[in-house]
Amino acid sequence: MLLASGVLLILSLHLITSGVHPGDLAARPQSAFLELISPIDGAFTHFSDGASAIGKDYLDLVHARDENVKLHEELTRVKADQARLAELEVENQHLSELLDLKDALGTNAVAANVIGSDAGGISRTLILASGTDEGLRAGMAVIANQGVVGKIIAVSPHASRVLLINDHNSALDGFDQRTRARGIVAGLVDDGVILKYADRSQDIKVDDTIVTSGLDGIFPRGLLVGTIQSVHREGPGLFLGVRITPAVDFRQLEQVMILTDPPPHLDDQAKD
Amino acid sequence: MRLILLFAVFAVLGLAIETAVPHLISFRALVPNLIIILAVDLGLRHHGVLPAIIAFTMGYATDALAGSHPGLNAFMMTMVFLVSYEISTRLMVANAFVGATVVFFGVIATALGTIAIANGFNALSDTGPLMPELTLEALISAIIAPIVFAMLATSKRLTGLKARAARE
Repeated sequence: MLLASGVLLILSLHLITSGVHPGDLAARPQSAFLELISPIDGAFTHFSDGASAIGKDYLDLVHARDENVKLHEELTRVKADQARLAELEVENQHLSELLDLKDALGTNAVAANVIGSDAGGISRTLILASGTDEGLRAGMAVIANQGVVGKIIAVSPHASRVLLINDHNSALDGFDQRTRARGIVAGLVDDGVILKYADRSQDIKVDDTIVTSGLDGIFPRGLLVGTIQSVHREGPGLFLGVRITPAVDFRQLEQVMILTDPPPHLDDQAKD
Repeated sequence: MRLILLFAVFAVLGLAIETAVPHLISFRALVPNLIIILAVDLGLRHHGVLPAIIAFTMGYATDALAGSHPGLNAFMMTMVFLVSYEISTRLMVANAFVGATVVFFGVIATALGTIAIANGFNALSDTGPLMPELTLEALISAIIAPIVFAMLATSKRLTGLKARAARE
């Protein structure tokens, strides 16, 4: 048993160091697991929407015991319908905002529902209810109407996973819109987001806006990342300590948009 | 075969809960780490090559839904299994209290190990703000663990599997 465990540990270390790329044999079980879990997550999300509507109805009715039972049932049904309609309206609004954003960006994009979060407590990822069947591929940019969300790291036919920009393994190229100071927007272990490698001589200030530079080949130029929360100039070193408040509240995300076209080359943009 | 099926069902349910519930309640720390509880149960009560492979597979399944380094959770779950096995061979009993204690430290060690392997040991110095949330998750996992162990024991009894540790 110890020998078998040793072999398994070496195998997992090999997977960690070599990585699993789309199309690899090792990626197939991963895709299958994602495909297996996504319908259950979708059902959970659907169930929770229904449960919250029922809970709301119950609270409304708890003090009206003397009312007719039939009226109760009627009211409950109507309120449940109302809650569902309100939910549809919110979803519709989110989708139309995403559509506006898609038109503004002038690129092909796919909207997707968020159905789950990371199974571990350390990483920051989301599970989407769309996959390769909807044209999604690993490495595509994911945005919301508030700003940048992250990029796709794994896909199965009907589901995909997004690495959020506040994950400690995430990095994208960005710059300060006011000073044009460039840096790498990276996530931290503690859930925060920083601008790494920002030159000490730059006049970066709190509340400055950080946008994508388009140089990473994933995100188009000019997408909102967030605003500067704090700037630390103390201590030695070549770079500033810049902390960013992301524009997107990742815990509230319900719908996102995936940019299916690669961002245009900056040379092409300049010619246009 | 029965052991594989039993743990496959529990692992799928566990992963579904771990991915769906945090998205609904917006506070990750309240969701117990159910896969670690399963790996600890395997290590404490099932010794052999097959349980080791099951622990590895549960970790690899977790990799499909957590983090960005495939193999990391597979490594961690195999380690949790091995440590649980070692503990069960040294103690006279492997009861729910022992299991819950292993789960508590397993959750914290796994999280810190994940950070250390993915980002280097220097990243551990930045984990201070993460510790209260991590400790809460470990505590909740430890509290839930006896319930999961009892559910597993009942399921094993119903399916005719041996549910006791080797030394008990």
